[in-house]
Amino acid sequence: MFEHLLSVLARRDHVSEGERKLIEALPRRIRSFSNGEELVREGTRPNESCHLLSGFAARAQYLPDGKRQLSALHVPGDFVDIHAFLLKLMDHSVVAIGRCEAAFVPHASLLALVEAVPHIGRLFWLSTVIDAAIQRTWITSLGRRSPARHIAYLICELYARLDVIGLVRDNSFEFPATQTDIADMVGLSLVHVNRTIQELRTSGVVVWRNSLITVPDIDRLHDFAEFDPTYLNLIQEPR
Amino acid sequence: MPRYFFDVFDGRKLIRDEIGIELASLEDVRIAAIEALPDIARDELPDGDQRLFWVEARDGQNRAVFKASLDFKAEWSADPREGRPRRKAPPINSAEG
Repeated sequence: MFEHLLSVLARRDHVSEGERKLIEALPRRIRSFSNGEELVREGTRPNESCHLLSGFAARAQYLPDGKRQLSALHVPGDFVDIHAFLLKLMDHSVVAIGRCEAAFVPHASLLALVEAVPHIGRLFWLSTVIDAAIQRTWITSLGRRSPARHIAYLICELYARLDVIGLVRDNSFEFPATQTDIADMVGLSLVHVNRTIQELRTSGVVVWRNSLITVPDIDRLHDFAEFDPTYLNLIQEPR
Repeated sequence: MPRYFFDVFDGRKLIRDEIGIELASLEDVRIAAIEALPDIARDELPDGDQRLFWVEARDGQNRAVFKASLDFKAEWSADPREGRPRRKAPPINSAEG
């Protein structure tokens, strides 16, 4: 059930057999969501943490005029709102990008687990810290990267995060985001996103057909995007 | 939803939209074309002193539907070689400039 979570944790630290069993034993309620459905709503006080089992979800904030900014993307194995465990009150919504499946774990169970095993508490803490590192990189992209490099950077990041959990096959991965979703992630107009993606396709760095993204040469895409994966912290260290 | 195609002239080259975007209304077409202009200009500038940017929307039958353009010009206020004095910048609230 929690194999993607355990893969990600193991990529960054040693997880003991005992810790593994405790995580696998967490109680949970499974729910499926269709594209655009809210997993967690802004303004609410969840008493469960939402963990993504399959598909993608994005953190969203809305303006009164209906404009939306997606401030983070989550992949299987991510808790999308573990910070809500501490914040108590949600300042944003979490919305499904394509169909997804999530496990809702009671805060009480998470609290018991982190009190019993401080190392697991630190690993959950680490995940929120890495979420913040990813957001810093998104801010740099939103503020200073050219649209083509920004979108290329996003693809590089997704490729790396999905590769860790074994969801990249033949240099390809499924990404069911619409062009509107992408525009809301990169803070650009729909037409310019559409045009930029077409230019990326034409250049051959990316093949993007329906929801399947193929990167024929990942090093070439990294060079083009000026991608530096340091912020993803994919290093094994005692935490 | 009908599909519209947004051809973009970025001041140097024309890029025809081969894929298109599905939009619900003509007002959405108008907004999509206009919103694109600052993004295209921001992506290209600074580069040169004069450029025309435009976005033209076509429908599924290749008919022109809407066109929005942005005219960019840049110039020095005095020619350094001729030693003419710089024109004083107008006060903030002036419409001139």
